[in-house]
Amino acid sequence: MKAELSARRQVFLYGLMCVLLIPFVFPTWWMVTSSVKPISDIFAFPPHLVPQNYDWTTYRKVFELQPFVRQYWNSAYIAALVTIGTMIVSSMAGYAFARIRFPFANTIFMIVLLGLLIPAEVTIVPLFQMFLKAGMVNTHWPLILVPIFGAPSVFATFIMRQFFVTLPTELEEAARVDGLGRFTIFRKIALPLAKPALASVAIFTFLHSWNLFLEPIVFLSSADKFTLPQALTQYTDAYGGPMWNIQLAAATLTALPVLMVFIIAQKHFVEGLAHTGLKG
Amino acid sequence: MAEVTLSKVRKSYGAVDIIHGVDLDISDGEFVVLVGPSGCGKSTLLRMIAGLEIITGGDIRIGGRVVNDLDPKDRDIAMVFQNYALYPHMTVGTNMGFSLEHRGASKAQIAERVNWAADILGLSHLLERYPRQLSGGQRQRVAMGRAIVRDPQVFLFDEPLSNLDAKLRVVMRGEIKTLHQKLKTTTIYVTHDQVEAMTMADKIVVLNGGRVEQIGAPLDLYDQPANRFVAGFIGSPAMNFLDGTITSEGFIAPGIVLPLPEAAHGFHGRKAVYGIRPEHFTLHDSGVPAEIVLVEPMGSETQVTMKLGETQVIGVFRERVALLSGATIRVRPDLASLHLFSNNGGQRLI
Ligand SMILES: Nc1ncnc2c1ncn2[C@@H]1O[C@H](COP(=O)(O)OP(=O)(O)OP(=O)(O)O)[C@@H](O)[C@H]1O
Ligand SMILES: [Mg+2]
Repeated sequence: MKAELSARRQVFLYGLMCVLLIPFVFPTWWMVTSSVKPISDIFAFPPHLVPQNYDWTTYRKVFELQPFVRQYWNSAYIAALVTIGTMIVSSMAGYAFARIRFPFANTIFMIVLLGLLIPAEVTIVPLFQMFLKAGMVNTHWPLILVPIFGAPSVFATFIMRQFFVTLPTELEEAARVDGLGRFTIFRKIALPLAKPALASVAIFTFLHSWNLFLEPIVFLSSADKFTLPQALTQYTDAYGGPMWNIQLAAATLTALPVLMVFIIAQKHFVEGLAHTGLKG
Repeated sequence: MAEVTLSKVRKSYGAVDIIHGVDLDISDGEFVVLVGPSGCGKSTLLRMIAGLEIITGGDIRIGGRVVNDLDPKDRDIAMVFQNYALYPHMTVGTNMGFSLEHRGASKAQIAERVNWAADILGLSHLLERYPRQLSGGQRQRVAMGRAIVRDPQVFLFDEPLSNLDAKLRVVMRGEIKTLHQKLKTTTIYVTHDQVEAMTMADKIVVLNGGRVEQIGAPLDLYDQPANRFVAGFIGSPAMNFLDGTITSEGFIAPGIVLPLPEAAHGFHGRKAVYGIRPEHFTLHDSGVPAEIVLVEPMGSETQVTMKLGETQVIGVFRERVALLSGATIRVRPDLASLHLFSNNGGQRLI
């Protein structure tokens, strides 16, 4: 009787979840299917959920119209560098704020956090002038340096600090008695235990860099330096109108690594979570 | 192996004094228990010996060497923490070998020491497990294993058994004691449990409010407590205290006159505190009357809460007392085991 009830309840819950899923899944579905439709079919009414005619040439054209491989590489290596850089900076800064007693630590932390309140749009002009003077406009440096030392890293530092604060001090004291110095404690005890926090930092930093749009548009001017979000805007016809199916094909290719990051990092998440906690 | 000496050790956090000048001599191989109520500074003192807490004043010597300004790692000590503090991301074996690995021992050396320690502690089959896969008692043993692999000069324990259930605590108590007898390493052990202190220690240090109340062998503290605090702290159930006056007729407490030993003669007319342990009452027809409040049979003995005059006390008797509350029994305090304390300051009179 009871089991039956809970079974019915389960069916209901799953049904509800399926409905809630639609707004998340539909756009992706539409993007992928439309990328292989002839452009006229995209606007067919009533719309087709499953393509009636396939036009696979869109994917070839993605690579013909833009140096897409090059742009893919740009996005990938920039996001990778930003992620690694942010993980290093934020874990060390977060640890310092959480554990090392230095004068005005809390005040400094507050000031650092204030950086989060300033929108990127406000700082982009002064940043442009700065990088112009440094001769770094139309290079990838701004896209790498700004996130590592800017708002995304501040947010990451905040996450890491909050994590390190909760790490039992006894563990570090045990390590001190075992003969480790401050940096070795950080590297061999604190950091390995911070895996779940680091994983979330890695995910959002990677995504943030991968999706970065304003900065590339401001700092980059030649097509072979473009990153993917910027490249997507370039698939236009002679009149500046978007070539929807080709653009969506490029968008599909752009979204792939994002999905991959999620799948890989999710596993780390779970693994990492199991490792934390004194009692376990 | 080393002796540990504390002289005039003090600790303050800002303006607040926590430890007020502790002197303590611990001989090589001795098992010393620091005991006292919560917040009395036991952990602080131990952590100062470990080097985890800065010393405000005084000197700490380990093996004759002043270690005041040395890092924990240079003091050649090992510590077992209350929550074990095992590294969650390392296996039992790695946990135990970690300090050796860090000190650059060879793989073979580490394996040998870890196996030796695991063998002693019965952990050999658990070396590949992670701490989260262990029971409380096993974690406790791993924490001890991590301490002994290095063969340090001094072991420090901070309430290592407080997270275990009562039965396991008794088992581990025995194991720690056995381990000490095997290794003969100087040990300083912190607990707030006086039973642990009594059963394990060669020497007990009773702390209260950051001061040493008394230092001595367990039975000396039990038989000859220096003051009322130690008398009340050591022994279970705790010693009974009655306020009153020493006179030639006896000890006049509210509503009753209690017998006094010969030695009390010198104190006639003096206000004092009469201290008698529950186990030092005997049932006797010529005793003083006591009204029964509660009878708790334990099997081997009977614990009786009773009123001597107006003061409620506890007595423990070998006999079975099958009486209801309100009845009166006659009890005789054992005069040889009687304690008298000053009514101000609580110093021992006899
Ligand atoms: N960092 C600190 N700042 C200020 N006071 C502190 C600090 N650490 C401890 N104290 C105080 O020092 C006193 C002794 O603390 P300690 O931890 O040594 O007590 P304890 O005897 O180990 O008690 P317990 O049995 O509860 O563990 C306490 O009154 C505590 O409030
Ligand atoms: Mg303590």
